[in-house]
Amino acid sequence: MLKAPFDPVQLAIPFFVLAIILEILLGRFGKAKANYETRDTAMSLSMGLGSTIAGVLFGGVVFATTVWVYQHRLFTIPMTAVWAWVAVFFLEDLTYYWFHRLAHERRFWWASHVNHHTSTHYNLSTALRQTWTGGVAGTWLLWLPLSFLGFPPAMVAIQKGISLVYQFWIHTEAVGRMPRWFEAVFNTPSHHRVHHARNPRYLDANYAGILIIWDRMFGTFIPEVDEEPCRYGTVKNLGNFNLLHNVFHEWVGIAKDVANSKSPKEALGYVFGPPGWSPDGSRDTSHTLKAKWRARVEAE
Amino acid sequence: MIQLGGSLVAVALLVAFVRWLGVARPTPPLDAASAKALLDVEFPDHRPKATWIASDGAGLIARDGELALVLYKRGDGYVARDLPWSAVASLKPTGGRVTVRVSDARPTFAVRDDVWPPKELS
Repeated sequence: MLKAPFDPVQLAIPFFVLAIILEILLGRFGKAKANYETRDTAMSLSMGLGSTIAGVLFGGVVFATTVWVYQHRLFTIPMTAVWAWVAVFFLEDLTYYWFHRLAHERRFWWASHVNHHTSTHYNLSTALRQTWTGGVAGTWLLWLPLSFLGFPPAMVAIQKGISLVYQFWIHTEAVGRMPRWFEAVFNTPSHHRVHHARNPRYLDANYAGILIIWDRMFGTFIPEVDEEPCRYGTVKNLGNFNLLHNVFHEWVGIAKDVANSKSPKEALGYVFGPPGWSPDGSRDTSHTLKAKWRARVEAE
Repeated sequence: MIQLGGSLVAVALLVAFVRWLGVARPTPPLDAASAKALLDVEFPDHRPKATWIASDGAGLIARDGELALVLYKRGDGYVARDLPWSAVASLKPTGGRVTVRVSDARPTFAVRDDVWPPKELS
């Protein structure tokens, strides 16, 4: 009830490795669209490994807090009931949507999540480019209401793992479009390519974990269009392949901006405003980049 | 520790596999057409009046008034940065290369005849 009897992510690691090897081979022999750059791949895989270590280091705090919240739960939801698994599937996925949206639209949480987006490639290794600082950023707190409702911590942990495993396969250019009904309901490689794109038209979109319905419901869905292929990475791509720079660059940026801010309000704006926020508007946010793009399109 | 060691070995083997098979994007040296296409994508709000392409085609510097638009190769892609033209104009090439200081890198550009700034940008 408290500790998950198995971890879907750990179980899936051999599959991850085999799938990456298969994608590399398909790309090499021209059977599918797939590009891998040596240092980019090294960074993605190192981030994945480091993320696991960071998770172990911070896991105790997360687990203890989750158990404490569960001890003060409103209801007792049985882990053996099918309806409970259906409910946790939808509620966990909804939680993921809002976590992910927050992680893109507010700089403090973007600082932790940005390193998942720094690859200029979109392949299965990119899926493993996971954060090292998620524990510090505290986004795991968003899942606590599920335990407060009465879902056993083990159940929530397993569902989170299933979601992560699902999201692995959508990090690929090797798959074009899925059947229309599938694209309508589920997050797919096409939808998630948009999410990883740095083209202004695609910014801040498709935050879904497993179900794309949340983006459709909350107005953040943007379809991939063939006339504008996705270009991957961040608006301002990293200038080097330094692993620690990738992990900490946005945190360092926040610290520098706060140190140079002229008032507490400015400091709060730098920390909790959208990425790219500045008091004088001299930097670009996703919003301004989209506005400039729209203006260019209208002018053409 | 055994699991960590095994994971490190697996990462190293996968990276070696990628290096061996060579599935990076092809990035041929820049020419006038590809340089313009790259500038249009990376600096859509700028209309540079002059563009200099490094002699090995692995980067470019364009000038838009008092702003230098810098594009340099990183892996199999390009990174875009802008900085004041004065910071670029004052560089001193050595051994056929000039190093530009941007916030998170020190890209170097191949310069023909150690002439700087190049006549295209003067």
